[in-house]
Amino acid sequence: MTFEYELPDVGEGVAEGEIVAWHVAPGDHVDEDEVLADVETDKAVVDLPSPVAGTIEELHAEEGEIVKVGSVVVTIDVDGDMPAAEEVEAAVEPDAAATDATASEQAVDGADTEGETPVASGRVFAPPNVRRLARELGVDITAVDGSGPSGRITEADVRSAAESETADSEDGDEPKRKSALSKRGDSEESERKSAVSKRSDSTGRKSAVTKRSDSTATSAAESADRAQTVAAPATRKFAEEQGVDLDAVPTDKTRDGEAFVEPEEIEAYVEAQEAAEEATGERAAAEADTAEPAAASGSEARPVRSEPYKGIRRTIGNQMQASSSTIPHATHHDTAVVSQLVESREKLKERAAERGISLTYMPFVMKAIVAGLKQHPILNTELDEDSEEIRYKDYYNVGIAVATDAGLMVPVVGDVDRKGLLELASEINELIERARDREISREEMQGGTFTVTNFGAIGGEFATPIINHPETAILGIGELTERPVVEGSGPDAEVVARHTLPLSLSIDHRVIDGAEAAEFTNTVIEYLEAPSLLLL
Amino acid sequence: MVVGDVTTGTDVLVIGGGPGGYVATIRAGQLDLDVTLVEMDAYGGTCLNHGCIPSKALISATDIAHTAGDAERMGIYADPAVDMQGMVSWKDRLVTKLTKGVESLCERAGATLIEGRAEFDGENRARIVQSGEGQGSESIEFEHAIVATGSRPIEIPNFGFDNEQILSSRDALALQTVPESMLVVGGGYIGMELATVYQKLGCEVTIIEQLQGALPTYEDDVTNVVRERAEKLGIDFHFGQTAKNWEETNEGIVVRTESDDNEMAEFEGEKCLVAVGRQPVTDTLNLDAVDIETDEGVIQTDDRARTSLDHIFAVGDVAGDPMLAHKAFKEGEVAAEVIAGEPSALDYQAVPAAVFTDPEIGTVGMTEAEAEAAGYDPVVGQMPLRASGRALTLNEREGFVRVVADDETGFLLGAQIVGPDASELVAELAVAIELGATLEDIAATIHIHPTLGEAVHEAVKGARNESIHY
Repeated sequence: MTFEYELPDVGEGVAEGEIVAWHVAPGDHVDEDEVLADVETDKAVVDLPSPVAGTIEELHAEEGEIVKVGSVVVTIDVDGDMPAAEEVEAAVEPDAAATDATASEQAVDGADTEGETPVASGRVFAPPNVRRLARELGVDITAVDGSGPSGRITEADVRSAAESETADSEDGDEPKRKSALSKRGDSEESERKSAVSKRSDSTGRKSAVTKRSDSTATSAAESADRAQTVAAPATRKFAEEQGVDLDAVPTDKTRDGEAFVEPEEIEAYVEAQEAAEEATGERAAAEADTAEPAAASGSEARPVRSEPYKGIRRTIGNQMQASSSTIPHATHHDTAVVSQLVESREKLKERAAERGISLTYMPFVMKAIVAGLKQHPILNTELDEDSEEIRYKDYYNVGIAVATDAGLMVPVVGDVDRKGLLELASEINELIERARDREISREEMQGGTFTVTNFGAIGGEFATPIINHPETAILGIGELTERPVVEGSGPDAEVVARHTLPLSLSIDHRVIDGAEAAEFTNTVIEYLEAPSLLLL
Repeated sequence: MVVGDVTTGTDVLVIGGGPGGYVATIRAGQLDLDVTLVEMDAYGGTCLNHGCIPSKALISATDIAHTAGDAERMGIYADPAVDMQGMVSWKDRLVTKLTKGVESLCERAGATLIEGRAEFDGENRARIVQSGEGQGSESIEFEHAIVATGSRPIEIPNFGFDNEQILSSRDALALQTVPESMLVVGGGYIGMELATVYQKLGCEVTIIEQLQGALPTYEDDVTNVVRERAEKLGIDFHFGQTAKNWEETNEGIVVRTESDDNEMAEFEGEKCLVAVGRQPVTDTLNLDAVDIETDEGVIQTDDRARTSLDHIFAVGDVAGDPMLAHKAFKEGEVAAEVIAGEPSALDYQAVPAAVFTDPEIGTVGMTEAEAEAAGYDPVVGQMPLRASGRALTLNEREGFVRVVADDETGFLLGAQIVGPDASELVAELAVAIELGATLEDIAATIHIHPTLGEAVHEAVKGARNESIHY
């Protein structure tokens, strides 16, 4: 029998995950607990183990696709007998009982009632016309997220739910699958089909992107320039993904007197823009051709490799964008002369090595940071924009930005103030290693109060670190190396080579003033230059 | 003698012309279905002829007399004389006017109207049985049928209705004279409404109720307001008493009851109204000819008003509780629309209900306890009418408006109103519930001053801890 594996909640209460990579392909045989795919949520990647043994029938999501928890990701032809599989199914599908109950309640129904959406049993917070539309489009209204006040379900929510279902159905050539919808037994398939056929003239996203219609391209090429546009949340998200300003998308639909945009208009607009760009490019090329034949070779298409912007890359990107666009950053630069620190570390390194610990400078830096944070608590804060509160943290959890093959990750070292140098060293080393191996869990990257980024490990002096929102400061460390330093003053002043550590402190200028940034940096430098202070 | 059998065909056969049936008929006609309505008694059904409308006519009329005679506080001294026959014939005139209206609305919708009793003769065929001798029987082949045969008052053992001493609610709405005294068996909404009418007309009313309170389906603080007012009018309540039998006496009758602890009691009165509930009418239908599921006489239907046979629908009282005309209206509409292929369903979020006692009760949706049971974290706002300026100008001090909402989202879940015009006030909250409105939506809506509707507004604001006037 076929087992339909619905994406389980792989993190704590996550709603969706991204299929980073499939480890199996249709036709492969898998054992129970064998890893089917890497699924990424937030910044952690988890294995998706197979709950059953069997043969992969079909993968229902492509790599890079974001899948909602509860939707079928893979169908597996289960080995052995049915009952075992049913147990599994019952175990992974908590709604099974409810669905059965609905089915038995509906037992009085006969043949020509199939394909109907049953009425929800509890309260539904949607106006009557929206409930009716849901029935019309075959959408289970209890599964729709409302975008109205307090989560009231609107007409647009139901339409976008219907469209995403249609898109789902078009993805696979096998339409029968379990869904979160409580539909009646065999009617499910026909219902999906009817939903598909009803929406068939409104182009599904995928097909619309590949199908290029010249007429729409020209008509949609003109940008609208509205002040306001009504659109479903899913449509807004789609526009964002496409990099499109909703107010620029031409439409002749309206809702409540405002221009109303749906995904198909966005697609048409994107296509039109592309077509227009191509045309301009071609024209430019043609002009270049006639003007200067020699330059023609320059305008020939050079090889370009495209990589999808997805997974950790996109998570980082979104995080950076959010931080950079919300926080007015200011960066304070200074340099610590760390001859003594180098000496101390040299001595302690051997001791540490005896205990099998590799002692880097990072534990010293973190200790110095904590000393600075204790004296300048304004840097150990977060700004809650919603409640308009600056939250002072009375604990010191320092995140370390780690470059990995997949991109930047920030594991957090908890309670740095209560840990010794060696303890810190081993914990940091372990966290960094696990981050690079992508074994780090989501929880281990949460709860930071301050972040340090050691770009100097690769090289360089100063940088402009981006703050790990909602924290309010981040310290960047340049390369620790010998640099010219002026010692003494007046006529005795001389330039000597000393080990120095360049520091780049970015602050949230809404919360922290420049003076405070400088004072904090001074404290950190004080501790770095005289590491014995750390003993106090 | 059988003159001859005639068979005709129809898309939709509607059996019964009460609120469920006539609305289904009109709606089916609007949707261009070929529809035939069969009615064996009077268009408008119980509601128009023997229920809602006549009782409200009598309630309003007696209220005028009673209020005028009870307004000394307002400086009015009067002792209105009531001509019972005049009142009843006024009531009959307006009932006739309304039933004629229903009939003509059905005709205008293009329906074929047939007088007679329809009974099933197979799954797609019904026979029309006309009363009277020597009538031929007509058969109708139908694609779809909508059963709307309604309900009738329940008779209890030893208390068969005779329209002399033992009255049904139907009989009690047609009395030509006011009895000296009346025993009312049953303290539900029908018993309470009629008891109030007759008490106000000068009849000594005694209510005998098996359960421990009047209007037992409502919350105590709601019913207390009504019971206390009824007691003030002079109605005598006896709870926990089961009517066993009765006997004729020189002055009228004596009803014997048994209490919960098996004590016998006797109550004397001129007449006895038995109002202990209503039961569906299915015995006229020859249900044996079709395989339709019933449960204790109630035809079982799904969320499309369909019976266990997909082409046969049942609406209104015959399809079960709540036996309310407006629920029947909705079901009749949905049945016709489903037959016409529209995506209609019985997806209402709440059925508002009213009791036309003095003062009235209006409710919709969940009580606080029901909201809790449904898994909500309810927040409640209550506005006593003694704090309402408009209520005081109406010489009313008792009652309240209460709203129940979900604390987290503010979605309105229910309301209980007891007070003047509660039946009208509840409509606003029914709309709010149907729209999925929040407390904020209502709180932000301007309500007219000075009206009773302000009390609704104030209760909603109270639930948000934003009361202004209370």
